Amino acid sequence: MPVNETILATAVYDQLKQAMASEPDGFIELYREYLAEAWNTLHSLREAVQQQNAQDASEKAHYLKGSSLVLGARVVARVAATLQELALNGDARGAEAGLKQIEQALLELQAELSDRLGARVIPVRSTAA
Amino acid sequence: MAQIPIRVLIADDHPVVRVGLRNMLQVDPLIKVVGEACDGVEALELARTLRPDILLLDLAMPNVAGMEALREMTSDNLETRTVVLTALIDKRQVLEALQLGARGVVLKDAVVEHLSACISAVMQGQYWLEGRPVQNLVQVLRDLTAQTALPRRKTYGLTARELEVVTLITEGCTNKDIAKTFGISEETVKRHLTNIFNKLGVGNRLELALFALNHDLLPATEGS
Repeated sequence: MPVNETILATAVYDQLKQAMASEPDGFIELYREYLAEAWNTLHSLREAVQQQNAQDASEKAHYLKGSSLVLGARVVARVAATLQELALNGDARGAEAGLKQIEQALLELQAELSDRLGARVIPVRSTAA
Repeated sequence: MAQIPIRVLIADDHPVVRVGLRNMLQVDPLIKVVGEACDGVEALELARTLRPDILLLDLAMPNVAGMEALREMTSDNLETRTVVLTALIDKRQVLEALQLGARGVVLKDAVVEHLSACISAVMQGQYWLEGRPVQNLVQVLRDLTAQTALPRRKTYGLTARELEVVTLITEGCTNKDIAKTFGISEETVKRHLTNIFNKLGVGNRLELALFALNHDLLPATEGS
């Protein structure tokens, strides 16, 4: 991880939290939905990489990158961007490593969000198993 | 007298992004989110029926992609002003979006910071690029056209990324430097280099640099 890159962009998180101050449950729900979708996308990404479907893998990585950027999950966005490029270059070994990086980043983000918002933010399916 | 709020339509295929954007924008009493679309087809339908002041348009959407939706909206002569949301600034894409009538481009990691200001600037008749209002659109378009004029250059079959790698090689960058610049692994840089060597028929970095200089493979420098 580059120096000074935090798992969650605090400015983005704080501004969103402020915007949703009147509905704190909705704020937790927003991040829970994000995490649930991110884990699902990682699962699909893994399948695409295993099937050597570079186009599908690239599109799924791009999808994950988009929502991660908006919600301040910068490390997830960065490793998803890297995987997108690896997939387009047909770098299967690199893509496998990229999947592990995304999983690690998601676990760290989930822990950070859990510290901030409580265990309710963790979706039922909270790993890429 | 109460000011009429700016009516905004959000078009993005991520449900969480739409929720995030809606909540973010609704804090501003001068902005009202009037609809949400999850793909390009729905974006066009809602733009035609709701006639929003602003359409926030994700470029990478299923069915009709954002750029195609923008093209159709332009041909419809809708008065809606479009702000493009994108994960990455691709100058060629920005130029195309502006040529198709987009009034602003906002990076997804900057929406929280810039979106309200962008919408406000666009409603005042300005354009918004690179995190600020644009004063001289003609100059911006001229610069973007110059920067995206790659196809006219002879490329010897190299991709845009491979050309960027060649440029960095001639600047003396190591594989590690290049990997860091593009946020990719050194292994991917090596793969790019192997492809470049094969396409150009050169055997090492020095031969590559000489080939690039002798065959006008490098981007034009400012003023040239």
